[in-house]
Amino acid sequence: MRDFTQTRRSTLKMLAAGTGILAAPSIIRPAMAQSKVVNITTYDKFVPQSFIDQFQKDTGIEVRIRLTDDQGKQYNLLAAEGNAPSTDIVTVTGHRLSQFITSNLLAPLDTGRIGNWNKLAPAYAGAPQLTIDGKTYGVPLLAGFEGLVRNTDYTKASDSWEIMFDEQYKELTSYIVSDFLSITMRYQGTDGDYVTYEGKDAEALEATNKARDFLIKNKGQVRKYYDAGSEVQQMFVNEDIYVAQAWSGPAAKLIMDGHPIELSIPKEGTYGFLYSFNVVNNAPNAEAAYKFLDAMLSSPEIGAAMTRQSGFASAFAGVDTVLDEKERAAMTLPDEQLQRIQFFSSKNRKMKNDMIDKASAEVKAG
Amino acid sequence: MVDSSMTDSAKVSPGAGPSYAGWIGKLSNSPIYAATIGLVANSRMARLVLLLAIPLVWIVTLHIGPIYQMARISVMDNYPPAPGGTVYTLDNYRLFFQEPLYFMPFLRSIVFAVCVTATTLVVVYPVAYYVAKVVKPENRTRALLLLLTPFWAGELIRTFSVIMFLANRGAVNVFLREIGFIDRPIIMLYNYFSLSFGVIYLISLFMLLPLYSAIEKIPTSLVDAAADLGAGPWARFRRVILPLSRDGIISGCSLVYLTSIGVFAAPLLLGGPNSTIFPEIIASLFHGSSDKWPEGAAFSILMLAVSLSTVGLFMRVVGGRTVKLM
Repeated sequence: MRDFTQTRRSTLKMLAAGTGILAAPSIIRPAMAQSKVVNITTYDKFVPQSFIDQFQKDTGIEVRIRLTDDQGKQYNLLAAEGNAPSTDIVTVTGHRLSQFITSNLLAPLDTGRIGNWNKLAPAYAGAPQLTIDGKTYGVPLLAGFEGLVRNTDYTKASDSWEIMFDEQYKELTSYIVSDFLSITMRYQGTDGDYVTYEGKDAEALEATNKARDFLIKNKGQVRKYYDAGSEVQQMFVNEDIYVAQAWSGPAAKLIMDGHPIELSIPKEGTYGFLYSFNVVNNAPNAEAAYKFLDAMLSSPEIGAAMTRQSGFASAFAGVDTVLDEKERAAMTLPDEQLQRIQFFSSKNRKMKNDMIDKASAEVKAG
Repeated sequence: MVDSSMTDSAKVSPGAGPSYAGWIGKLSNSPIYAATIGLVANSRMARLVLLLAIPLVWIVTLHIGPIYQMARISVMDNYPPAPGGTVYTLDNYRLFFQEPLYFMPFLRSIVFAVCVTATTLVVVYPVAYYVAKVVKPENRTRALLLLLTPFWAGELIRTFSVIMFLANRGAVNVFLREIGFIDRPIIMLYNYFSLSFGVIYLISLFMLLPLYSAIEKIPTSLVDAAADLGAGPWARFRRVILPLSRDGIISGCSLVYLTSIGVFAAPLLLGGPNSTIFPEIIASLFHGSSDKWPEGAAFSILMLAVSLSTVGLFMRVVGGRTVKLM
């Protein structure tokens, strides 16, 4: 037997073998991409399990769901994957589309491949939030807004965001910092969506800092900052909080489940958003993705199931007729309040993201 | 060696090397076998390469690789790289020292990790001693398994169980209200108390096992001898048991410190607005929508360097010159 002596040649052979092992996924992946699967990045409970089961049974295409709870996280994951995304469909809100498109992450939607495109509600079929340079980039899914949510057993009614800063509810409130910064700016009479601040950096920064300082000053009101809808639901159920800023979906779900919760839009107004499903650029299973999107639009029952699970209003036609009275009531607000919703714009996103992200970190660390 | 599966010619001439009948024989004579299993079986160098390659690939791809990638991103100006090319810079590191906003959570993380480590040691040491020295030898494994049972559940499940335990309508408050001890719930969740409670519960295993292992090795005869020579319980503990369990203390404290300084899920779920620690700041840089991965990477490298340095210093101070840092 020879004694082993480490030489340059033996080391090079070992490294070559290691490189071969590391390179294997890039060879295996394209082969596997042809398999019958569709990967979807979306929010919790957006896609009903009953629909997934039926779709898998009808088409033989496996549906794999990857959960996200934040648009920023979704963007960062997709950007990091570059030209080799591991997902086929993502869930982008209308006002975030431009960021994804600028980074070349989404493919324009070929609506000709979606036979059931005409089953969208007329208000959403040509949604301007999803159309950029004449091209459609998403299938509208669910519409929502940021509402004032309160436990009716322990709080009095309020038509103002002021209730969030009421001493009576010290350590009994909660909010998503980045969302609530925009709302606080609105509450203070400035532009929380940064649309009017294009080219006016100093003015935008002053407004942001004013909101930031206000939230830091009122930090004692907060029980916890949260990120996901399920967290605020859990805090309300456990009675850890009595008042919160929350997305309409999770709040409506609590109402549907019979909890003593009220959702409203205060007089200072709020922001709305439209979720959509979007096919990513270089999607490994684009064909399966289009089949999934087409199947999803096939019936209002699917839209109703999505509404029941998420609490958000559906963008599909005919869903209202499928929901029962309790479900409709959970999502219905007086017209006067609905008029106070301003949908997030896609303009001046970079300034908004930069300033809000920094201010959020400062509020949390302050 | 002769066995029944060998052919007659092989049994007659064992010195010629093994030769087998049936499919084993065909396999062992095939060129594919010679190129793969045969190569490993016949070549010492091939066996050595295989033995080294697997752990080497594991360490490089799963340990060194991510750290290298993080360090590389930390000196970039943009990630993903901008179309014009990448500019390498130390500005991301300078940001940490320029912005006081990031320094306080960093300091808070270190103080938190030190406090959690010290508390875990104080809480777990008596438990480890009890199992290692008081419980009869034949029952020790059972006792240890009983203590390890909660750790069979995942970290997130155990974190949520803490929430259900401490919430306003959690087990503790409901019990205290039922017995009439309180009228209003005690706020135990989403503050430093719940964060510390949760983290200690999650990582106490890392302290228990090294301590148990070290204390169990202490010869009972030494403790008995100290007692015979007049040492009281405290003296026996201070002068015999504690010094001899030092290795366990060092290992346990190092593991707990390194885990708690970087803990992320528990602070997100159990922490409050005033208990933001550094990993959350790093996460907000990665999760934010304004492409701050290079800053997040720089902060991660800084935290890695500081945590390893702190642990190294601790090991040298407590362990003395017998402890090698590398």
